[in-house]
Amino acid sequence: MAEVVAAFGVPHTPFYPMMVKRDGPQSETAQFFARLRADLERIRPDAIVLFSTDHLNTFFFDNLPIFAMGVTERFHGPVDEPPEVPMYQVPSRPDFAAHLRGACIAAGFDVALTEKFGVDHSFIVPLHFLTPDMSVPVVPIFVSGHVPPLPSARRCFDLGRTIGDAVASWPGDLRVAVIGSGSFSLDVFGPLMAPGRTDGVPDPGWAERICRLMEQGEADALIDETTPKQLARAGNVAGEVLNWIAMLGAIGPRPARYLLPQLGQGHAYAVWEGR
Amino acid sequence: MSVYEVNYLCRELLRDKAFREKMKTDPKAALAARDLTEEERAALLGGDVGKLYRMGANSFLMGYLPRFEACGITLPVYNERMRAEAPPQAQ
Repeated sequence: MAEVVAAFGVPHTPFYPMMVKRDGPQSETAQFFARLRADLERIRPDAIVLFSTDHLNTFFFDNLPIFAMGVTERFHGPVDEPPEVPMYQVPSRPDFAAHLRGACIAAGFDVALTEKFGVDHSFIVPLHFLTPDMSVPVVPIFVSGHVPPLPSARRCFDLGRTIGDAVASWPGDLRVAVIGSGSFSLDVFGPLMAPGRTDGVPDPGWAERICRLMEQGEADALIDETTPKQLARAGNVAGEVLNWIAMLGAIGPRPARYLLPQLGQGHAYAVWEGR
Repeated sequence: MSVYEVNYLCRELLRDKAFREKMKTDPKAALAARDLTEEERAALLGGDVGKLYRMGANSFLMGYLPRFEACGITLPVYNERMRAEAPPQAQ
């Protein structure tokens, strides 16, 4: 029997590895990641499905899919040189990934295929903190979250649900953890950054609202309220919340076991268990 | 139509260290062979990131300009010019 046994929501801020190295294991970010890592190690999944948003590194304006999946034995990253992150080789499961992608296409999601690729910090930073020995195979799913028009929240939730169902139809024993990664309100080098900085949190109230809805597993409200207009107000990378929404679809809406907000940065850390 | 080229060369700053260095020391020469409109070229050399943004260039990618101080664009200047592009209700 195969099932989604847990879901994790995390940020992927590219300078967190450097910050954690500098500020030590007692710093808040180190503590939050350590808590999630302990849960992941207790749960011991056989595979991870990771929803994140490529920052125009794996894909670019010459070919920019709304959804894509990596189907490969392994991939590498980060390709965008975030400080203090080594180059990792990440194992994957092409048989399992092809099964998931086939189920998506059968369900009407035309998920693009990549078989040879590197990924940027958006995929590697979560793994750097949660599975640094890279011993668990990871299937990466790329969700367009930066370049409007973005896929709708409903579409991303349904994609996640399709992935959850596809996991359950895998013919064999497999315990799967899903991860959704990104910010709720954040603008990086865009017009909504804070004075004198490279980024900013333009809509902290929205980040707080997402935290509450995610913590309670309120999928309907999340889907209704995550509109293109709201995302534009929340910053140029706020569409990354779509990765969390897909993750919630994959495990099935339910309250989180816990959610640790980091509202000053417009994001959070959270864990769900059991489908 | 070459906003694509503006976006592309911003990302090249991350990937091509020789180009990165040239964009810092001699941006005019670095851009000479690039397939840019004169308007785009002038905006890049003048650090007019607000104009490039209005022309459709990607703000996340343009962040590589101040990150690597390409075309003499410093973070304070970039920050001020880009924030001037925020919609009125956000300012």
